[in-house]
Amino acid sequence: MNIVAEQPWLWAGLGAYLVATLVAMWGVSPRSENSALVANKTHEKLVLGFIVLGVLLLTVAIAARWIRIGHGPWISLFELLMSQVWSLGLIFAVLYWKLPGLRPSTVIVMPVMWILGSWVLLLEPGISHFPATYYNVWKWSHVGLGKIFLALLLAGVGLGGVMILRTTERGRTWFRAMPSDAVIDKLAWRMMMLALVFDSLMLIAGAVWAQDAWGRYWAWDSLETSAFLTWIFLAIGLHVRLTYKIKPWVSGAIIIGVFIMAFSTYFGIPYISTSAHKGMV
Amino acid sequence: MLRRLASLKFTLVGMVLLAGGAALSYGNPVETSVWVLIVPLALLALNLAAAIVTNPRINRQPGLLVFHICLLATVLLAGLGRLTHLDAHLEIAQNEVFSTDTLQEVKKGPWHSGNLDKIQFIQGTYTVNYAKGLKRGLTHSEVFLPGLGGATVVQIVGDDRPLILERYRFYTTHNKGFVPILTWLPNQGEPVTGRINMPAYPLYDYKQDNSWIPSGTKEEIKFWLQLQTGMTMDEAWVLDGRNATGTLVVTSGGKRTELEPGDEVSLEHGRLRFESLTTWMGYRVFYDPTIQWLFWVTVVGVFGLTHFFWVKLNLVPWMDEGDERGSKV
Repeated sequence: MNIVAEQPWLWAGLGAYLVATLVAMWGVSPRSENSALVANKTHEKLVLGFIVLGVLLLTVAIAARWIRIGHGPWISLFELLMSQVWSLGLIFAVLYWKLPGLRPSTVIVMPVMWILGSWVLLLEPGISHFPATYYNVWKWSHVGLGKIFLALLLAGVGLGGVMILRTTERGRTWFRAMPSDAVIDKLAWRMMMLALVFDSLMLIAGAVWAQDAWGRYWAWDSLETSAFLTWIFLAIGLHVRLTYKIKPWVSGAIIIGVFIMAFSTYFGIPYISTSAHKGMV
Repeated sequence: MLRRLASLKFTLVGMVLLAGGAALSYGNPVETSVWVLIVPLALLALNLAAAIVTNPRINRQPGLLVFHICLLATVLLAGLGRLTHLDAHLEIAQNEVFSTDTLQEVKKGPWHSGNLDKIQFIQGTYTVNYAKGLKRGLTHSEVFLPGLGGATVVQIVGDDRPLILERYRFYTTHNKGFVPILTWLPNQGEPVTGRINMPAYPLYDYKQDNSWIPSGTKEEIKFWLQLQTGMTMDEAWVLDGRNATGTLVVTSGGKRTELEPGDEVSLEHGRLRFESLTTWMGYRVFYDPTIQWLFWVTVVGVFGLTHFFWVKLNLVPWMDEGDERGSKV
């Protein structure tokens, strides 16, 4: 097996994420309650530190691959997953730093990143071809906005997961340090509102790119259909919350449902469909 | 009545129907009627219009009002776009003048009324870069446009840089190939010069063939083009018609002849001369007068939504118990 330039950095970055996850898990565990590290919140600094370290190592991994193959992480599933693990970590680190109330939800957020991280470890880091349509500058805004959208959704999933787990005794113990369900629910839906803004902007940028790349701004291909369904599910979720007094766990389930749709749009549909769009060509 | 129409429950029903319609529209299947989208969109447009008029949560908050008006305008513009659009394909040979007669697979809305017949350009040469493994890269297609005072303006288009004339957009496609230019000199009548487009290249490298029946005869003439283009899978390569040569194999009435440019062959009803080898480029033609409007309306709408969230998120601290539901914002 040949090890290519980016792989050691990728493994190291994922390793740092793993340490962050373990420290976060230890932090919510009842066994750590009497620990000085937890009492004075030092463990939260450690979690943030390891996430930031992971992001830095993944930045080097992406740069090493970019130099090796001559283009950014836009094309293959290996590249997309690696770049998503990087951007999700980066944006979550900012949220973790600015919003102390969501910090214990790291134990839900980081394992989702780990699904992506484990997946990327199973893939071949082969060289991908850079299609002509990818020289378009709208690619940058489309991809960048999509990354922010998914990261906000993931933060919402962390909070939604907390609301669901708090229906159990163990969940209430783990997340004892977090604010009430009402506050978490509000925070989670603020993430969803911001996600709607970035999702909308991503769709607009994608439509402009599609017009340039394929000569039409919308054609109901597999990825476009799935992306539109994600947008409408998000809009439905926001309107359900406006219309009905829903229980926190239902609220969490809606958020997770929207995330599953978005996840399949990013990492499923482009690689199982045979349409021309296919996310890459 | 308007208040009932503006109900949020009605909005939810419309959204669920739209999600169903979108799922059914996946891949634009022929068996799915466009009404699966039109009906929910019409319901949502009515609901939205009523909500804009009657719902103070919307019409008293500038950001939300702008967003919902823009959402309504987006639906109307998209509908208008479909009614006025044109989609077509075009295969145009080098040195050929664009003509509306050459458009293929034309699909247009009932209100389409563009100035397609005013478009003038002549196709020039093109190059297409291929990476190792015959992976297509950038296309550079040369077109000649009439300039001021009878001058000719050269423009290079390709991939995401369309030729835009009279708001029609001509996009190069992967579909391009070679064209033998032929002159048919019938035993009786005037000579005719024309072209036989060969299948797309290098996609159909293995079957560069076509056939033609001269007017007034039943004699089918089969053509097979043997190309030398330098194409290789092993390294990067540039498809350039100027560097290509070809031998045209003509088969008719059991007679097989190989022709180089300038050669001719005598057949039962006349003589056929292989004048030269040139290229053709396939374009996708797109016209939708609403696209710029759609872009700006959607952008303004999202900025309206951003303004609304900005105000809302600043009113209630992020980690407070404050209830955001209903009108307590």
